[in-house]
Amino acid sequence: MTYNAITVTRGSSGYGGPLTIKAEGAKNKIVYIVGGGAKPEVVEKMEELSGMESVNGFNTTVPDEEMAVAVIDCGGTLRCGLYPKKGIPTVNVMPTGKAGPLAQFINESIYVSAVGPDQVSLADPDAVPAGVAAAAATADAGAQPAESADAAAQAEGGDEVRYSSDMKVSESLAKKKNKNLLEKIGLGAGKVIAIFYQAGRDAIQTMITTILPFMGFVAMLIGIIQGSGLGNWISQTLSPLVGSGPGLLVLGFICSLPFLSPLLGPGGVIGQVIGTLIGVEIGKGAVSPSLALPALFAINTQNGCDFIPVALGLAEAEAETVEIGVPAVLYSRFVNGVPRVAVAWLASIGLYTSTG
Amino acid sequence: MNIVVRAAEWFIGLFQQGAETFISWMGTTVPLVLVLLIFMNSLIGMIGQDRINTLARHASGNPVSRYMLLPFLGAFMLANPMALSLGRFLPEFYKPSYAAAGMQFCHTSNGVFPHINPGELFIWLGIANGITELGLPTMPLAIRYLLVGLVMNFVGGWSTDFITRWVERQQGVRLSRELKTA
Repeated sequence: MTYNAITVTRGSSGYGGPLTIKAEGAKNKIVYIVGGGAKPEVVEKMEELSGMESVNGFNTTVPDEEMAVAVIDCGGTLRCGLYPKKGIPTVNVMPTGKAGPLAQFINESIYVSAVGPDQVSLADPDAVPAGVAAAAATADAGAQPAESADAAAQAEGGDEVRYSSDMKVSESLAKKKNKNLLEKIGLGAGKVIAIFYQAGRDAIQTMITTILPFMGFVAMLIGIIQGSGLGNWISQTLSPLVGSGPGLLVLGFICSLPFLSPLLGPGGVIGQVIGTLIGVEIGKGAVSPSLALPALFAINTQNGCDFIPVALGLAEAEAETVEIGVPAVLYSRFVNGVPRVAVAWLASIGLYTSTG
Repeated sequence: MNIVVRAAEWFIGLFQQGAETFISWMGTTVPLVLVLLIFMNSLIGMIGQDRINTLARHASGNPVSRYMLLPFLGAFMLANPMALSLGRFLPEFYKPSYAAAGMQFCHTSNGVFPHINPGELFIWLGIANGITELGLPTMPLAIRYLLVGLVMNFVGGWSTDFITRWVERQQGVRLSRELKTA
């Protein structure tokens, strides 16, 4: 039997990977440990491509040394971290990221999630298999939980045997069909909940890593501006520029200048700070609230000018497209900048008029 | 002595004001954005990137779907910066224009759908906070921001087609107008 190396990439909203998996010596089994024990489609694809044999980990206990890869459907509790901890490459059919009590063992070189049949392919012949280095380091660390998992697997396996031997064939089939429907509903619900749960984790992560730090920084800025006399000084200098439509046109013009715009772009930080300052002025009543609309466009005429090569790279543009695209987008921002503010100014007619 | 005490009080006062601002956001904006983020992440997870890609392949035919529909939906579904990756389904010549429109859609829709660009939320929120301060609703502003964006980002994308042609001529290069079949 010859084995082929396969590559598993992450699916939509998944995490980790790509993993290269190759059978070596006794380490030649795909072990799937999924709820209900139904063989996931992805396992069939992996068998087909790699030539490895698959084993239902709930029915049969496979020693860690024989597991080339573990396929799981863990929504973020124990299993998704258990096999990475043991140094076994892990494929999760759920879109779970670094989660659960063993999250620290989950990383991109040993774990990949949201995997379906489409994410499995034959690997480059010279790719280095995952988990080879990690296996040695963590082999004995995982012994304890492994035993309990094995015990659980055996218990479940025993259960199933008793079921089938106690019943007639027809009864057992009926029972099985029933169970399959339940299984389907259960698995379906489980998958939807896993998506929501992962979405929650991602959202909290975004909150903590990007939104809250900026809020803290801006809150401090606002505090200093309002608490000190600085606010009045800024109002006096900035008001002529942001306090009227023509002033905003000038601001938009300055921000869109092709030699200035890439410098103003990074992270949108300057736009965000100017926006906050204008917001403070609007809050104090120094600037009419209807000017908020043209202001939104005026502070951002440089939108993404530092980011053009990356944006084109994301679109898989060729080198000469980037060479032409960067100046083209810079000029485009310049040409469109002032008209955008002007149109927004026009469109602000009737906005907050009852008070402004 | 009095001067020192007053200076210290003034100094702490700066940050008390900041703390008040921060906690008022924690009570209003943060939970709203968070719950919306969770909902949108789930929706994106369920629809999946594959279906968006299929849509992108069909949207490249005319300027309206190319620079209005596709970047709007792309920003909504994939958010910043992955929305820009949809440009790969367009011929080379149109990629700069798509990037120009796409980057702007990651901002103009951000008032109504803050999940699109949470990292640069304060372009919108900084100004919107002033409106909130006055006790006015921000949604009328957010909707107009989105609508003006919808029109002007399209104009921006389409006009970039002509600018790209001009730069091409200047540099003596001609980019492919046909989609490469992979």
